[in-house]
Amino acid sequence: MIWVWILLAPLLGGLVYGGERVLRARMQRRQGPPFLQPFYDMFKLMDKRSLIVHAPHALLAVGHFFLLWVSVAAIFLGWNLLYIIFLHLFAQVVLILAGYSVRSVYSHLGANRELLALVAYEPILILVSVGFYLVSGSFEIGRILEGEGYLAQMPLLFAALLIIVPIKVKKSPFDVTEAHQEIVGGVEIEYSGVFYEFLYMARFLEYLFIYSFIFLFGGISYGVGAVLVAATFLLVNLVDNATARVRTGDMVKIVYGVAMSLAVINIVGILR
Amino acid sequence: MDLVWILVLLPIVASAALVSITSERVHYYLCSAVLILSGGTALTLYGSPEIFTFHLSSVAEGGIVVADVLLLLYFAYQGVKFKSRMVMILAVMQLLLYLFAKLISPVETAPEIVVDTLSKFMFLIINIVGGIIILFSIRYMKDESADPFKKRVFIAGLLFFLSVMNAIVCADSMLLFFLLFEMTTLSSYLLIAFRNDEISRSNALRALWMNQIGGVVILLGALVAISGFDTLSISELLEHSGQMVVLSVALLSMAALVKGASIPFDGWLLGAMVAPTPVSAMLHSATMVKIAPYLILKLSPALGGTLLGEFLSVIGASVFVAASYLALSRFVFKEILGYSTIALLGLMISLAAIGTESSISIAMVLILFHALSKALLFLAAGVLEKQYHVKSIEEMKGMIQRAPKTVGYIVFGFVSLTLPPFGLFMGKLFAITSVTSILHERPWLLIVLLGMIVGSVLLVLLYFKVASALLSHPSDTVLTKREHLPFGYHIPLILLSFLILFTAVGYTLVQNDRLLALFALPLLIVFLLPIMIRAMERYDRIQPYHCGEKESFDAALVYFEPSVFTQRLIYWGFGAMFVALLLAGALS
Repeated sequence: MIWVWILLAPLLGGLVYGGERVLRARMQRRQGPPFLQPFYDMFKLMDKRSLIVHAPHALLAVGHFFLLWVSVAAIFLGWNLLYIIFLHLFAQVVLILAGYSVRSVYSHLGANRELLALVAYEPILILVSVGFYLVSGSFEIGRILEGEGYLAQMPLLFAALLIIVPIKVKKSPFDVTEAHQEIVGGVEIEYSGVFYEFLYMARFLEYLFIYSFIFLFGGISYGVGAVLVAATFLLVNLVDNATARVRTGDMVKIVYGVAMSLAVINIVGILR
Repeated sequence: MDLVWILVLLPIVASAALVSITSERVHYYLCSAVLILSGGTALTLYGSPEIFTFHLSSVAEGGIVVADVLLLLYFAYQGVKFKSRMVMILAVMQLLLYLFAKLISPVETAPEIVVDTLSKFMFLIINIVGGIIILFSIRYMKDESADPFKKRVFIAGLLFFLSVMNAIVCADSMLLFFLLFEMTTLSSYLLIAFRNDEISRSNALRALWMNQIGGVVILLGALVAISGFDTLSISELLEHSGQMVVLSVALLSMAALVKGASIPFDGWLLGAMVAPTPVSAMLHSATMVKIAPYLILKLSPALGGTLLGEFLSVIGASVFVAASYLALSRFVFKEILGYSTIALLGLMISLAAIGTESSISIAMVLILFHALSKALLFLAAGVLEKQYHVKSIEEMKGMIQRAPKTVGYIVFGFVSLTLPPFGLFMGKLFAITSVTSILHERPWLLIVLLGMIVGSVLLVLLYFKVASALLSHPSDTVLTKREHLPFGYHIPLILLSFLILFTAVGYTLVQNDRLLALFALPLLIVFLLPIMIRAMERYDRIQPYHCGEKESFDAALVYFEPSVFTQRLIYWGFGAMFVALLLAGALS
């Protein structure tokens, strides 16, 4: 059964993404695209003629997508949280290398920003999993989901995680890696057709990846987890509509200054 | 024990032979023979569980004293000759301390030479990685503009250094250790000054005086051990307990920090990068600086769980972060590699000082994998320097078009330092797990954990920033020339790459963790790549999009320059911590 869910993961992420676009539109009092728009986009992209710059560049996008899929699969299977974070890191580096591998200024700019975003959120993810270990005694997701009371014991870590969610789902104030007008799509710019579709679907998987971390805070009561995810989803979109983009450097400073301090204070609290 | 003698004597014999023979082909044979023989010997030794001990004869003892005095007099002479007051003062200070220590030292009953598991492990790294680097240096020296005799002496010097390193990792007597420590300082000094221009000379002198500080603290540590327990043997010292042990261990750890070029002593290692590349690969990343984590590992029984050990591991972790950060402002490729070496040495020191069983084994694993990857990177840097005359990463933009193979090796080196499934990544992963698991008992290690996490991610930023300069390939419509890489350069690079792969697979298997197989996935992708690239031929090619601008590609690299104030803060902070280490030793 679980394998069916893993196979369907990109579709599941697509639904989340489609839902988000509708939600954001409603917040702005727009009609917005239909709920299934990501899938209409998919069919359209598959139909387009694919143009590539060079073979490794195109293949790295495919690699990025599959590695992300594997890390999401590992989450579904309840594996070690640290392994999953590093697998995700690998997927990210593949994307960054793709961005650097072409002679395009925008692609390079985008890759630089992806790299800095990675520097910002990676430590927080690891600290959150350290928090889970200290409370539950294991890095295994399967074991973590058997425990409870995470939110009560690690509220500040949850706050730290909330700060980095917008980076991963590319939402204001931390949507620097995308920043439409500024860098013309960043890493994505040199892709077209089916290869762009892979990057597009990779984004769906990112949603599942980061919201899984939120879900873990519910522990054994999946209902609480689901409520947390829904609340975060709303909050992130609300903040997205209400804030402007910050500079890349400021983003790193904010995450290191605020989120990191919150995480450390929380861990010290657990250790006492 | 005979096998150990092979390791110590074979390189000396080979170096003597090498100086007298001019034929390049013979050089290759000779160095390959050394690599195979001593590598094989090290492997055999590693396989046997025995611990050898050896007692030096009184003649050898006398020889050591003479060698030591001559060495220190030579240092003093260099100080006078090149008008370096620091070198002179420190040399005289060491000479006085040494003679005093010799005067009050007891008749030694403990064996001076002990070959334990740690020594055997170090043999493995020294002989295999060192051997490969020497093989590379033959071709490298061919391209160097220097007197042929001087070139031969250079290669012979590297061989000789191999035997010094083999000796130092089994020296158990502090005074013998001191002599060999000073010999590595001497090799470092001579090899940095090899090109004999103004900048080489001043950097060499700086390396000399900084390392001499290490010599001074070793002697002080020995004096404490003599006055406290009447012994010079490190293993005997560790059997005792009490304040004198802690003080002596603190002094020896300070020597390790100096040799490992921890901030504030990073200046000497950075300066050492003016030396020919094989020197940087061998002395300043793969073997000599590894004395630092080695020494801490040797002392770890007295460090684990103590205030001193905890403090040392905090220093190590801070160096890991600070050096990775400082590297972000550099643009000379070898200096970047140098700083990242300092950073990773800090990580190893930190893990070794924690002193639990798992952290010790992780530190050892890191020593091995770091030696392999950094040797590969330095050698590839050497190829870029000799074949394409580029040293700074600014000049390396788009290098993949001119040198696809070399750039491939460099990117592979970066990947092996940061990503799964390679050893260094695994080491960092297990380090995080290991530290987290003891966090409840030793909460101070949270600082170490933070250092590890932030430092690792800064290194990812650093390496892939450099990769961004190397990569950026034009559209497939532009033809790239095939790169011709001479055999003398190519073979060592291939050997190292295979070793990296091989050890990574081996380590994964040893861990016996089913989930780790997951990390083999990336390898699969790499092997499938050629087939997949062929399948891509059916897609049409385009030029990158430039928003309608005329094509002029020049993406800037990211640099993070710390302000002068921050820099001062870093140096004074680490300087204070270095001194505080002594206080921690004296007070606890």
